[in-house]
Amino acid sequence: MNSTHFPIIIMSLFLIVGVSTPVIKKRFDNVVKFMLMGTFGVAIILSALTFLYVQAEGPFTYNFGNWSRQLGIEFAIDGFSALLTLLIVSVSAIVVLFSLEDIEHEVDSSKTLSYYTIVFTLIFAMVGITFSNDLFNIYVFMEILSLTSCGIISIKHKKVNFLASFRYLILNTLGSISFMFGIALLYMVTGHLNIVEVNNVIADVWQYYPTNILLAVGFMFTGLGIKAAMFPLHVWLPDAHSSAPTPSSALLSGLVVKVYVFTMAKIIFNVIGVEISQALDITTFLTYFAALSMIMGSIFAIGQKDIKRMLAYSSVAQIGYMFLGIGLATEFGLAAGFFHIFSHAMMKAALFLSAGTIIYKKNQRNITKLDGIGYEMPVTMTVFTIAALGMVGIPGIIGFMSKFYLGVAVLEAGQSGFIIVILLSSFLNAIYYLPIIISAFIKEDKSRIKTLILDKIPVTMLIPLVLLGFSCVLFGFFPNLLMDTIENVVPTFLN
Amino acid sequence: MELINELLDHINYVGAAVLFVIGLYTVLTHSNLLKKVIGINIMETSVFLFFVSIGYVAGGEAPIIGENSDAIYVNPLPSIIILTGIVVAISLTAYALSLIIRIYDEYGTLDMDEIMEIRSDLPNE
Repeated sequence: MNSTHFPIIIMSLFLIVGVSTPVIKKRFDNVVKFMLMGTFGVAIILSALTFLYVQAEGPFTYNFGNWSRQLGIEFAIDGFSALLTLLIVSVSAIVVLFSLEDIEHEVDSSKTLSYYTIVFTLIFAMVGITFSNDLFNIYVFMEILSLTSCGIISIKHKKVNFLASFRYLILNTLGSISFMFGIALLYMVTGHLNIVEVNNVIADVWQYYPTNILLAVGFMFTGLGIKAAMFPLHVWLPDAHSSAPTPSSALLSGLVVKVYVFTMAKIIFNVIGVEISQALDITTFLTYFAALSMIMGSIFAIGQKDIKRMLAYSSVAQIGYMFLGIGLATEFGLAAGFFHIFSHAMMKAALFLSAGTIIYKKNQRNITKLDGIGYEMPVTMTVFTIAALGMVGIPGIIGFMSKFYLGVAVLEAGQSGFIIVILLSSFLNAIYYLPIIISAFIKEDKSRIKTLILDKIPVTMLIPLVLLGFSCVLFGFFPNLLMDTIENVVPTFLN
Repeated sequence: MELINELLDHINYVGAAVLFVIGLYTVLTHSNLLKKVIGINIMETSVFLFFVSIGYVAGGEAPIIGENSDAIYVNPLPSIIILTGIVVAISLTAYALSLIIRIYDEYGTLDMDEIMEIRSDLPNE
């Protein structure tokens, strides 16, 4: 089957279904639910086929309207962007399956259909950024992404949400503007917007305009740093991720920030080129900020009482791991960073969804009041425990493997100092995750009945949790299933 | 003298940079939410100015190929890109303003400092 059009079909599918659902349906009933999940089913099949096609035939480019790459917009479908699309589509399918029950408790019933419109546009924009091979096109998708990700926060009509959303919007826009300034500076030097063309020209001229390129990269990295919540620029994240409805938090923390991390990798390796990045010391600075994020994010998380706020701060630390992998600028480092994109997406989605289940069932967000909850909601808390232990880095869970690969990559790059940072960050993770697990399973609460009962939650909320927990363990024991593929596709990304 | 001439030659770039800094200053220092949005708009304008002036060629004509095929043309691509940029800026502004209306309804003020005071009195939701 000819698959070259599939990436476009995936994107248009999300856009069409997202926009048309509130037009053709008035109520959020079972038909709508089947339609939403059916869209995801088709999209997963299409993105898997695209991935298989890329594996078999090699990376290809897709030109819109048959314009040449100097004039038109181009999509580059390489092994990694196809794999990342598969991750985006499947994790958001799991999150949306969870949201079908949960969303009615979080959002006004008249807003439910609009919520899915925004979510589908969000997925459309994420897939777009992943495939896009044109700097300005990336900017446009980025703006769609920032508008929609503010939208899924402010749709919950609460005071906190409006303020969190406004702050997120202002900082996001600052980020987009700096990114566009960077594009302008690069365009000044190269005269192209297509990533391949820019890379060709920069390789010839970078010695004449080092300041210009450095300034451009500085602006772009500030912009992406704000959007991906790198340490000193993370101020919007805790409010935004903790006040949002649970499915939104899982999407924002699990997927949206990753897309920006991937864009940053694209800029270092595809736009500027790895030799020039190293010559201008860009990658070294990135590793410093990464180390800072890893430590400071965890330190902030320790003091939090609100469970979702704690998870949000933990994201800041985990983003640091990915930046560290990218900043090492070796092939294995990049593979380790990308592996952590996958492992963090699964673990953070599992954590947010299980936290959301506790809030759904018990209406309790305070982590000091979770004593003995493991007896009442064993499945939920088991999934939470698996993912939390993965974050800490206990062997047998996917999080351990990504820390292990990152450690190997750090040693391979000859920067063994970062090993200490990784270990320290893991210890800090243990400080704030273990008390929850201990109090949930070991501490007693007099008021609760101490018999083991199964969680009384809807089955559409149980399935996503079990799926995510299972995949954390599966890839923890067999990381090669994922890592071999990633190591194969990283060279196609670098080319 | 040389420096001044240099600056005058690139007055559009200098202007863009100055506008960018003014906008950033407004966003970061003013506590009024509307002024923050205005600051964002100033920053966006500065980038648009910068982008358009990259494409300008001194003495160039509009890029319509006629009888005079030797003429120097202005690069049209930046101007077209900025059209998209303007559309994006408008939608962001509209969304930000609608959020401000909601925030004003809930808190009764547009001042960020006052909102933070009100918030610190409330229990954490």
